[in-house]
Amino acid sequence: MLQVSELESGYGPMQVLWKPSIRVRKGTITSLLGPNGVGKSTFLMTVFGSVTPWSGKIIYEGEEVTHLPTHIKVDKGLTLVPEGKHLFGGMTVYENLMMGAYLKRAQQYREESLELVYSLFPRLKERGKQLAGSLSGGEQQMVTVARALMSKPKMIMLDEPSQGLAPLLVQHVFETIQKMKAQVGLTILLVEQNADASLAATDYVYVMHEGRIKAEGTPEDIKSSDEIREAYLGL
Amino acid sequence: MGKRLSTYGPFIPVLALYVIIFLVGKGVQGMWQVMAMLTFYCALGQAFNIFLGMTGYVDFGYVAFLGVGTYGMALSITYLAHQGMTGPAVIIIGFLLALIFPALLSMAVGAVALRLRGAYFAIATIGVNEGFRYLIEGAKIWNGSEGMIFTSELNQVLGRDTASGLSTFWADVYLFIIAALAALVTLHFMRSRIGYALTALREDEDAAKVMGINVTKYKIIAFITSACFAGLVGGTSWALKTPYVFPPEVFEIHYTIEAIIIVLLGGAGTLMGPVIGALIYGLSKYYLSIILPGFQLLIFAPIIIVIIIAFPDGVMGVVKQRLRGTSLARFIE
Repeated sequence: MLQVSELESGYGPMQVLWKPSIRVRKGTITSLLGPNGVGKSTFLMTVFGSVTPWSGKIIYEGEEVTHLPTHIKVDKGLTLVPEGKHLFGGMTVYENLMMGAYLKRAQQYREESLELVYSLFPRLKERGKQLAGSLSGGEQQMVTVARALMSKPKMIMLDEPSQGLAPLLVQHVFETIQKMKAQVGLTILLVEQNADASLAATDYVYVMHEGRIKAEGTPEDIKSSDEIREAYLGL
Repeated sequence: MGKRLSTYGPFIPVLALYVIIFLVGKGVQGMWQVMAMLTFYCALGQAFNIFLGMTGYVDFGYVAFLGVGTYGMALSITYLAHQGMTGPAVIIIGFLLALIFPALLSMAVGAVALRLRGAYFAIATIGVNEGFRYLIEGAKIWNGSEGMIFTSELNQVLGRDTASGLSTFWADVYLFIIAALAALVTLHFMRSRIGYALTALREDEDAAKVMGINVTKYKIIAFITSACFAGLVGGTSWALKTPYVFPPEVFEIHYTIEAIIIVLLGGAGTLMGPVIGALIYGLSKYYLSIILPGFQLLIFAPIIIVIIIAFPDGVMGVVKQRLRGTSLARFIE
């Protein structure tokens, strides 16, 4: 589904990514783990295009998309849920979701997508008429993910979906992510600091350190290697 | 009809306000100049709102578009008069240049500056305005710092009577039309995918990108549209009304500040906001200068601060919120 090879990027003169390569298979949940500041978010933003790639190759569904602008990628079904709560606080939950179906391709399936989103997040249906800014942190996180789903993606990249949430909610987030894979057939690439929860929920894991991929494998492989766990994941 | 009314209904009260301003100016003795000033502010606010209001980007160099629009009209009249051309065609070509110059400048500025966000964009645009002014003065483009005076050329092109009618009356009527057109375009944007995209990027640019919106494209559309209207305002109010142009005047940052105040007072991103802002700003500026000559700015500044604190979303922002859900709501935007 997505194949990234030897990606390099950064900000100004500062290089953040030092040729990490990953591969995400269709219909799986892949996670990219590592502590703060190792370039995980930069990696997602570079794949999405909001940070410009310096070199390397990004292939999505067999097509090279390395230098395509973000709006074209979204149109092709590849989207990103950025870190933090990027929602339209002055609009209602319903309006936020409708904004998500901006693309012509997504607009015609608006009602269908809304039903799907409500079935994944029943709470949002109750909150439909409430201003998004007045929701709790967990609910706001749901809105940002739900809004991304409204654009009818095939693959979704999630940047720290569990950030700042209570442990019980974290579990709920991962359950929803698994539902998105099982019920909607989405391919998911996940960036997380919460190694414990993501190891339990994902199919394949990459461990990033200082802008490089240091290890990869199934969650079992990663868990069974003491070296990786201690050195990079702090478990 | 019902759908069209709900789509373009909010234009009715805006147009009504313009008609009232016009009728007061025409009917009440001695009010024409006041109303003409208000119209200038309305048109300025309405034009600036398309960019500032709809994108949330503050362009401190906005007056440059009025400036080059003024030059567009001035060059057309001066050059074509020397070629022996006369008649309204000269003015029409002038309007075209007053559109093309700001369009080109906004494309050039936009391509560079719109990559910047927030405060960086604002600072970059101050530089553009000042830079352009000194370029004209230093490189002696279009007569450099001496400016251009084209009273006799305008008389030659239109005849003395028409030319004086233009500067005392018709230029202001054109301004009314420009202001109303700018309002109509604003409403059209609001009701289309453009407005949808602009609202998203104003609220949160990162979220807008995730929705698949080509944010650069829509910012540039708003920027160029806004700049073109600014050019028309300059070409009309500054070139036709007063047939001369001096760089320090038409690139005076003061007008940008006024435009920002008007839009924020009235309610950025609303349709009627610029009109309300222009009325509050223009009338209080005018009457304060009569009541307290010399002290007007001292009184004026705190008044503006109080209004901004009382109405953080502008007057129309608050009105819109109050009317939400009522039957009046569809006539207010």
